Amino acid sequence: MNKKQLALLLLFVSPLVPQTQAEIKHVEMRVEGMT
Amino acid sequence: MKQHLGRQSGVQDVEVSLRDGKVDVTPKQDGRIDPAQLLKATYDSGVSVAELDMTVRGKIVKDASGNLALQAEPNQSFAIAPNELSQSLETLVGSATAVTVRGQLYKKPAGKKKADTSVPLKLLILEIQKKE
Repeated sequence: MNKKQLALLLLFVSPLVPQTQAEIKHVEMRVEGMT
Repeated sequence: MKQHLGRQSGVQDVEVSLRDGKVDVTPKQDGRIDPAQLLKATYDSGVSVAELDMTVRGKIVKDASGNLALQAEPNQSFAIAPNELSQSLETLVGSATAVTVRGQLYKKPAGKKKADTSVPLKLLILEIQKKE
């Protein structure tokens, strides 16, 4: 497989790889003084 | 405050409940959210944070001083405050197992009006939701 074929393969396969997920899933704050 | 928090990087959505004094922040799928920055932004918008809880997924590691920490991506690490639940995570140090935990990262000290954000934040594990 030459470099061009390898680059094309990566180009087409990369969208199938799951994107990096944000590791903080949820943030909840209890606040005071909110009107 | 909603707009103020919504402008922070990595924030997808902010829900504010005036009745309960509760603010829910949903991070973007591929974003990086900084809880310390959220605390500061909330304080800057004129309200004080009594408590900040979060659900986070990561790997258990030991930091340079030998304390437990939760290593999250992208490139974030949270020192873990020791408690019974954190002890049960010690066996996972250095393993490939990722854990999802719910923990308290900040609680306003009793009697203090102003939040002290200079103190390093430590994650007090409240619940271990998943090991995978």
